[in-house]
Amino acid sequence: MSTTAVLHGEDIHAAHDAAHEHHHHETFISKYVFSQDHKMIAKQFLITGMIWAIIGGLFSVLFRLQLGYPESTFPWLEDLLGHWAKGGKLQPEFYYALVTMHGTILVFFVLTAGLSGTFANFLIPLQIGARDMASPMLNMLSYWFFFTASIIMFASLFVQTGPASGGWTIYPPLSALGDASSGSKIGMDLWLASMAMFIVSSLLGGLNYISTILNLRTKGMSMTRMPLTIWAILFTAILGVLSFPVLLSGAILLLFDRNLGTSFFLSDIVVNGKILPNEGGSAILFQHLFWFLGHPEVYIIILPAMGISSEVMSVNSRKPIFGYMAMVGSMFAIAILAFLVWAHHMFVTGLNPFLGAFFVLLTLLIAVPSAIKVFNWLTTLWRGNIRFTVGMLFSIGFVSMFISGGLTGIFLGNSSLDIHLHDTYFIIAHFHIVMGVAGFFGMFAGVYHWFPKMYGRFLNSTLGYIHFWVTLIGAYLIFWPMHYEGLAGMPRRYYDFSGWESFKMFAELNQFISFVSILVFAAQLLFVFNFFYSIFKGRRVTSENPWGSNTLEWTTPVNAGHGNWPGEIPEVYRGAYDYGKDGRDFIPQTEPVGENESHH
Amino acid sequence: MSASVTSSEISFHPEHADNTKAIWRTFWILSFLTIVELTIGLVIYNIHKGEHPNATLVLAFKGMVCILTLAKAYYIVSVFMHLGDEVRNMIMTIIVPLCLFVWFIAAFLWDGTSWKNLKNRYNRVDVNQTEQVAPAAKEKGAKD
Amino acid sequence: MSTVAVQQGTKWWSGGKSPFNASYGKVMMWYFLMSDAFTFGAFLISYGTIRFSQNHWVDPNHVFNSFPFAGHANLPLAFVSLMTFILIASSVTMVLAVHEGHKMNRLGVEKYMLWTILGGICFLSCQAWEWTHLLTGQHEVLVNGHLELWNTTVSHNPFGPEVMFNGKEVATPGPIAFGSYFFEITGFHGFHVFSGVVINIVMYIKTRMKHFELRGHYEMIEKAGLYWHFVDLVWVFVFLCFYLI
Repeated sequence: MSTTAVLHGEDIHAAHDAAHEHHHHETFISKYVFSQDHKMIAKQFLITGMIWAIIGGLFSVLFRLQLGYPESTFPWLEDLLGHWAKGGKLQPEFYYALVTMHGTILVFFVLTAGLSGTFANFLIPLQIGARDMASPMLNMLSYWFFFTASIIMFASLFVQTGPASGGWTIYPPLSALGDASSGSKIGMDLWLASMAMFIVSSLLGGLNYISTILNLRTKGMSMTRMPLTIWAILFTAILGVLSFPVLLSGAILLLFDRNLGTSFFLSDIVVNGKILPNEGGSAILFQHLFWFLGHPEVYIIILPAMGISSEVMSVNSRKPIFGYMAMVGSMFAIAILAFLVWAHHMFVTGLNPFLGAFFVLLTLLIAVPSAIKVFNWLTTLWRGNIRFTVGMLFSIGFVSMFISGGLTGIFLGNSSLDIHLHDTYFIIAHFHIVMGVAGFFGMFAGVYHWFPKMYGRFLNSTLGYIHFWVTLIGAYLIFWPMHYEGLAGMPRRYYDFSGWESFKMFAELNQFISFVSILVFAAQLLFVFNFFYSIFKGRRVTSENPWGSNTLEWTTPVNAGHGNWPGEIPEVYRGAYDYGKDGRDFIPQTEPVGENESHH
Repeated sequence: MSASVTSSEISFHPEHADNTKAIWRTFWILSFLTIVELTIGLVIYNIHKGEHPNATLVLAFKGMVCILTLAKAYYIVSVFMHLGDEVRNMIMTIIVPLCLFVWFIAAFLWDGTSWKNLKNRYNRVDVNQTEQVAPAAKEKGAKD
Repeated sequence: MSTVAVQQGTKWWSGGKSPFNASYGKVMMWYFLMSDAFTFGAFLISYGTIRFSQNHWVDPNHVFNSFPFAGHANLPLAFVSLMTFILIASSVTMVLAVHEGHKMNRLGVEKYMLWTILGGICFLSCQAWEWTHLLTGQHEVLVNGHLELWNTTVSHNPFGPEVMFNGKEVATPGPIAFGSYFFEITGFHGFHVFSGVVINIVMYIKTRMKHFELRGHYEMIEKAGLYWHFVDLVWVFVFLCFYLI
């Protein structure tokens, strides 16, 4: 509380910030564990996210082994997993648990908390010119709620009946009835408890991001001078603050159904020959509630990635971002549409076709702002003086993934096509490319680009290039063939395809996909190694502004302390994208506009 | 003399006029609206008790109650929560996102109605049961 | 000082100040309330959706027709009106406390905070009585051809359509969702009232200990007030959805 008062008392922009004047002694605990410095909290989010990414990735390797080699046995699996892999073969229940946990972990813990938690915390105060978040205390709590959520979710992996296994969308009745499957028991309760903590964390974080961006911008940092990363994070935070509560409602109703005998989502159900007394509820209602969050959620993942890629691409093309206002406007449009299209995930639930038509229309509208963004990225690259840094490559890879995955989204948005493609590998391919891989590419771009600011050292670029090329090619090799499997009708979430005559032809393809996925996972371990190695042994950053960037974070010292700027917070006189203007390579935002300066 | 937060975030301090009168006026408006709502509620109750409830009339009264509720919500937010005294930017950032509720409500209720229609059309067994329970029970009662 | 002139002359979004002329704490509070509005909105909309999917729904006037110490008198909506009135009155005292805070009148703040806390406790007591009444009050229901006595709970609803049985009108089991949603949503609202009372008590103690007087402003009271009014606002909609229509 004292730090809050110091940082946000009477003179937040005052010349000499008290926090810097007296260096009060910081213990290990207050500096690295219960830190209120936004930069440390960002690193905490990033490293926790990375740990989760390894776990989630490992799960996908395990179930890809089953999908690629359904006939073989791997005795070492039994040593590793015990009765979950009897005789060296994954048990079906465990396969479903793995798939569920893979989805939950990567969507929520890695690409939501790990991505926007990291970059919102790290970039907002640095790029808008603030000493810290509006409320550093709530910011710290936000991380620790996330940490609690992580611990609960991690614990659920070790309960006897296994973790939740009804899919990451936890549709009832599988999630509402304890007797429905082994994963519906304590594992499901832990899942819900963990998500409740996670929602609190994302709410605390989101409120902080919004009020910081609105209230604490430095002098001259008007909304239209903000870097696109900050705009993206602002929209992400608004999406999170308004959509997560709906999931919370759904989760609370589900908890009632599980434990108090209500019938919100249950009706006319027979379990083990016993007719349940539940009547009048609707399982589809849960899907509505879930996807009211679930759809904005995919934009919560992709918007920060878009913002990071825009920033990294502009810096490394040495060109202003093409169509700044169009970029902001299209993100705004995407944020609005995100709330209006949720039922396109539910076309085959018996949704009223007339209502469905509205959802088709609204869904297809998303293609317009998305296309605007893609063309703006391409024109930003056009005739740029491109530096192919690893971060830049990942940004370009992001655009590539966004196009490939976005185009299949147009197929799926049509209800008539969706009836055929729903729950097939086509969907898997679509959302893994456009949300999973693209989200990861945005995250990698950000990590490679801002690592010097985070740790004062560079990541090793040779390892980075290997990481990039293996991941890019590998991701396409994994997910491209899945489109064909999906068009042929191969359904998702099946444990074993060898029993179907029609899917036998895909046996070798499945093996190939599994092989590549192990390779790509290995490449990610290379990145993890690079990350931790470079923290301690990487090449040191010598100048404050290694990338020649305009934005404010590069005006701070290389290893900035709590409070970011040792002296006064700089004032801002121009937008963030004055690259290659009037014959100058770049003009930082802190430089006043010259008299004869041309207008872009 | 009014006191307020002093920080660089705040550009000017609005004069807090001694408008306790406005608060009490709002209180009476809210009470009055509640009483009108109650009256309508009782009217609906009496229509239901009658021989042939007029569905359209009930719907019209229910619509009126909804509008009155929105009016109450307006007074609470604008006067009690002082949103009416804030700068325009703030009012807009609060009100505009709430427009999402329009489609939120419309789509959900639409689909709910659709479930009812689907159930009534395809779940004949269920419909027959609820329709038959009454006569069967009556017959049984008559025999006893 | 002309406030309007200042407002129009200010470049609100230019940075270095709040575009809302409000502290970050207040902005955060407002956005938290928006978020909470979506939680309650989702509950009420779910309730509406299930209600729209049923052929029969419960007439609230049959369920909520009793009053403490009034025996079996048929007084539809009377008790809930009292509850609504209590909550509105406590909202008024809250806003008066905020005003006393603007005037830096500590004793005034204390007085009105106490009234607000009292109002909140009264409301919670009323709700406790109503819940007890529903959970313990027994009604005759025709189940599988014989009469049973049912309470209104999250999984039982004795207010279904009426049929003739043994020459008299008796109710059949009604939609379960009615009780489920009623207890769930009023419970969640009651939880908000309860936390609001706790917050108000904390604020009262802090006022008593002159925390705000020393700080020079009573903004915390204002923020607690926002929360309290929001709780009142939600009740207005709960009142509409469960009792009136």
